[in-house]
Amino acid sequence: MRRDDEESSTMYPRPTRRPRGIPVQLTILLVLASAVWGVGAQQVTFPNAPKSVKFGVIGDSGTGGQEQFDAAKEMAQARAMFAFDRVIMLGDNIYGGQGPKDLVNKFAKPYKPLLDAGVKFYASLGNHDDPANRAYPLWNMGGERYYSFSTQNVRFFALDSSQLDDKQLAWLEDSLKNAHEEWKICYFHHPIYSNGGRHGSSVDLRVVLEPIFVAHGVNVVFAGHDHIYERLTPQKGIYYFVEGASGQLRKGDTKRSSTTAASFDSDLSFMLVEVAGDQMTFQAISRKGQVVDSGTIRAHPRSPVAAASDAAGASTLGF
Amino acid sequence: MSDSSTHSAAGQAGAALFSPPVTSRKGMAGRASSVLLDSLFILPFGCAVALLWANTLPESYYIFAHALAFPVNEIGIVLFFALMTKQVVEATLPGGVLHTWRRAALPVAAACGGVVGSIGVYLLFLYFLGEPMLRQTWVVPCAIDIAVCYLVAGVIFGRHPALPFLLLLAIFSDAIGLALIATLHPADPGHLALGAALMVAALASAVGLRRRRFTTFWPYLLVCGTLSWLGLYIGGVHPALALVPVVPFLPHATRDAGLFVEPTPQAQDALTRFERWSKWPVHAVLFMFGVVNAGVPLFSLEAGSWAVPVATIVGRPLGVVAATELAIAAGLKRIKGVGWRELLVIGCTTSVGLAVALFFATAAMPFGPLLLETKMGALLTVAGAGLAIGLASVLRVGRFGK
Repeated sequence: MRRDDEESSTMYPRPTRRPRGIPVQLTILLVLASAVWGVGAQQVTFPNAPKSVKFGVIGDSGTGGQEQFDAAKEMAQARAMFAFDRVIMLGDNIYGGQGPKDLVNKFAKPYKPLLDAGVKFYASLGNHDDPANRAYPLWNMGGERYYSFSTQNVRFFALDSSQLDDKQLAWLEDSLKNAHEEWKICYFHHPIYSNGGRHGSSVDLRVVLEPIFVAHGVNVVFAGHDHIYERLTPQKGIYYFVEGASGQLRKGDTKRSSTTAASFDSDLSFMLVEVAGDQMTFQAISRKGQVVDSGTIRAHPRSPVAAASDAAGASTLGF
Repeated sequence: MSDSSTHSAAGQAGAALFSPPVTSRKGMAGRASSVLLDSLFILPFGCAVALLWANTLPESYYIFAHALAFPVNEIGIVLFFALMTKQVVEATLPGGVLHTWRRAALPVAAACGGVVGSIGVYLLFLYFLGEPMLRQTWVVPCAIDIAVCYLVAGVIFGRHPALPFLLLLAIFSDAIGLALIATLHPADPGHLALGAALMVAALASAVGLRRRRFTTFWPYLLVCGTLSWLGLYIGGVHPALALVPVVPFLPHATRDAGLFVEPTPQAQDALTRFERWSKWPVHAVLFMFGVVNAGVPLFSLEAGSWAVPVATIVGRPLGVVAATELAIAAGLKRIKGVGWRELLVIGCTTSVGLAVALFFATAAMPFGPLLLETKMGALLTVAGAGLAIGLASVLRVGRFGK
């Protein structure tokens, strides 16, 4: 269940010109739009460093509907400027029928441009997914419900939050303890922090997972389930994102609270993330290509013990 | 508890199959108020505490529930299933509703039909909802809360022959569910062999104790029970059933006083003394079982929350009626006074899963949001009780037919 990738930087063509973000005019428009949406944060552009780790994030994507195709198309277009080589999937990857045809119509077809470009998808399972589909080769799960993989200084941990048995928890604790990468990123379906109106936080999962995350220095957690985008304020030093709107949207479902750092629930969205050294830059992008949230996170150069004692959740966010 | 729902051995022994028992407060039979039935009134308090706590201070509730899940669900609940087994063991004695297996044929058929019907509707419902992950909890709709059903059936049927039929149906349905649960998480051969060896040791020591005429229940409980618990636990079978194979070896009465009937003060056999001793421990365990397991978020009813009650309320009555009519068509004798309308009401009455469904859910599904959904569904099956009374009223069944 642990895999080490060596590919990364040489697999895809790098931009030959100086790394760049979105044009200035568009940036101004986006900042104005952000103000209208109440996102609040100033847009942060990607360093687009040649040897950085670049990945996309999609959640609750597998409807097979036009909206999913639109968001996937936008993602493929974004790759022309930001050459991410992997996508993590936050569950509910296929809704409804789960057969081979559904896998084609609700996954392989919408993301064909990315798959053709060699982008690898790493799925976690949601409540709407058939556990049997963990053997689907294009999801790179190796037939496991939970697994980890790494590239450069980042290790990812894909969990099955639908059934968090003792075996999985022991595996997680052990894997985190033995992970020496600077960045530890966990992703799964049910959010342990969310202000989504339909589901909200899975507190039952939180009381079990959070102490493990804190003790072993997890930096960032991605989850789906609520069909919105939300960035939470850091909780005990960990950054939480909800990205459950890559195929389905629950318009206006965010019940903003003091833990909401940013949110977007008026259109579908996906995320792009870059990890360069101790810096992680992220953008949440709407189906229409608008950056609705962005920011930079620095890895905490702290031991797990120090992280555990940081109960106040002091922010190192560099917005 | 009304007199109408008490049984007497004399009444049952002389009556035809499934004929109503004669009520008596004297002789072997006491009032219908066993430890199990009394616990019925305690469990809802535990559930209420859990619901209130989980929906006001969820974090502290879940920390508490996680800490106590193992001691309550895998150790304490052993006593509850031991008392259930006591009822079944005594029912096989002269005067009991299970005495002579010929009586059990039709309820077994009905129970099988109910299990197939409820599981079938459950899986169908999940298919249409697009919730394949929940299929792992398919065994939950088998669960019937016998004590609740007994009370509801008493309200509907009084001393009707449908009552013992319903109780047998419920016992067999739970037995099927428990057997299925035992197969859900198979252990590897090494553990299985060790578990089997421990179980053999438990049974051998129970036989030895019985031969040496031990009249106290403690060695059965502590020696045989512990060996059996370890055997099941290591062998991958739910250890809550640890005392089920041990209880039949405890010295017990020679005649049955009736299901859920409180033993008289004269009864001093080991099994009866075990029941008396276990009164407060079982009350405490069932209260804690409610507290630990029934805390579910009320604000969001998910797919799994609906699937369980739909399966038991729709699937079980259909399965019970179909299987019973098929069995009768195949040659089994129809019970007098139990036609399709009564069968439909019986099926609806047995749709209440409550405590047993909560147990089945925790046994079938590891901790997580889907378990919470399923537990919510288990609680919602209580609606079946009201529906059964309503249906009986509409169909003029039991007391409503007079």
